[in-house]
Amino acid sequence: MLWITNIAWKMCRFGELNQNASQEVTLSMVVADPENQINQKKERKVDLVFTTELYNPEEGNKRLGKCSARVFFRNEKPRPAVNVTCAQLIEKKKRHEEDYQLYKRMKQLQNPVDVVSIPDNHGHIDPSLKPIWDLAFLGSSYVMWEKTTQFLHYYMAQLSRVKQWKTNDDAIDFGYTVLLHEFSTQEIIPCHIHLVWYPGKPLKVKYHCQEVQTPEEASGTEEGSAVAPTELSNF
Amino acid sequence: MIEDVQSLLDEEQEQMFASQSRARSTRTFNYDTYHTLEEIYDFMDLLVAENPQLVSKLQIGNSYEGRPIYVLKFSTGGSNRPAIWIDTGIHSREWITQASGVWFAKKITEDYGQDAAFTAILDNMDIFLEIVTNPDGFAYTHSKNRLWRKTRSLTSGSSCVGVDANRNWDAGFGMSGASSSPCSETYHGKSANSEVEVKSVVDFVNDHGNIKAFLSIHSYSQLLLYPYGYKTESPADKDELDQVAKSAVAALSSLYGTEYKYGSIITTIYQASGGSIDWTYNQGIKYSFTFELRDTGRYGFLLPASQIIPTAQETWLALLTIMEHTLNNPY
Repeated sequence: MLWITNIAWKMCRFGELNQNASQEVTLSMVVADPENQINQKKERKVDLVFTTELYNPEEGNKRLGKCSARVFFRNEKPRPAVNVTCAQLIEKKKRHEEDYQLYKRMKQLQNPVDVVSIPDNHGHIDPSLKPIWDLAFLGSSYVMWEKTTQFLHYYMAQLSRVKQWKTNDDAIDFGYTVLLHEFSTQEIIPCHIHLVWYPGKPLKVKYHCQEVQTPEEASGTEEGSAVAPTELSNF
Repeated sequence: MIEDVQSLLDEEQEQMFASQSRARSTRTFNYDTYHTLEEIYDFMDLLVAENPQLVSKLQIGNSYEGRPIYVLKFSTGGSNRPAIWIDTGIHSREWITQASGVWFAKKITEDYGQDAAFTAILDNMDIFLEIVTNPDGFAYTHSKNRLWRKTRSLTSGSSCVGVDANRNWDAGFGMSGASSSPCSETYHGKSANSEVEVKSVVDFVNDHGNIKAFLSIHSYSQLLLYPYGYKTESPADKDELDQVAKSAVAALSSLYGTEYKYGSIITTIYQASGGSIDWTYNQGIKYSFTFELRDTGRYGFLLPASQIIPTAQETWLALLTIMEHTLNNPY
């Protein structure tokens, strides 16, 4: 059931911690085992509790908060509804500060950033490129959530080809290709993602994935289990 | 014209550099970095040369593209002793597994005669270690596509290449849990054992006839799995296998706290047909297990090289637990 927590924390991260893009959140463990419920309407509900931690090798693990979530699939469709609450231990002001630091680091990067492969084939991410990975991971989390069903779940395998370019309003305008790894089919799915970010404002994500032709997979236009939360819908 | 010359010079310099930095002994070999096929094959020869009484290299076949397939044999004597089989790298992109295999090989030569429990194992049993089970795929992950999983065999009638070597075994072959599409990552191939990489191991196991534990190593997910993958029916030895898995996982976690889950393939990971340990179990090799090594998705297949040694160290403790149980429970 670990993969269910994967979706929940992605949602948590994207929604709740959209305010806190610079923090990398790592799911640490499930405290309460998820309850498996399938009712007559072919809905599948999973309740879980987990903690999130900041993972920064230099600074060691820092507990960020404890989350509880309910993940809700309907008719085996993608985009599960996730009701998640995280009790944040780091205060909002500090989170905004760190977001702004990330923004500054991204701005200082050579423009346009034209990088291939993060991490490299040996799993290494140069510290100067880490902010790119963090932001890409945030955007990818949204895409992964959009595609997740109770049968299909995704991980970010590698960033290939990154392009960053300025916009008039000074937002970070960031295009990249991410290779997603779908676990049950073991397929690698390339997705082109374009995100626009300014600290404090909601992330805007546009994407196109190369779909593998399998019958079980939902198409991009099909209605998901959940209506997308309003703060994500302005793109 | 000038650009071509430059790239030629660059390539030449790279090769010179590579040969200069090639390890001259297994003592100077870098265990905390990922290596090419050539480097791993060189390592094997070095290990044999340094430990001729203990280690020998067997060629069990040739890959689809004609690369030799090697197995290291660790033996202190006897004749066809009961044996442990370990394979890594059947899925080529799972680089942590081949890297761990190299470390295991070295570890065996270090611990024999030094560690009492391990010495007892090797005094009574042989160990066979196949480090690069899918050499064509592995070469391809270095040259063209880091995330290549399958073999590199051509399928007539399709432009897609490769078969999932862990869907090609004769156990529930072609049933649910594998794909019949040549373009799929879990394509089972046109028939069981169609892949020479698989057939070579099958022939070896059958010819040997005395293998008592078969351990297949993959990544990622941090799991220890026993049969079955192709059906929900429990193996007859389920209780014992479950207990062994439990102990092995506890041993693994004791080193760095890495958390593993364990159980049958079908209940723990997903339905998968034509898998190696389902076949070996059905052949009577009771202690058949599959490992899924670090991590749980953060880096996935691209596990940082800094984690090679810790991963290999903790996994070794689990392997030891299984080997000890095999030694103490002859059948």
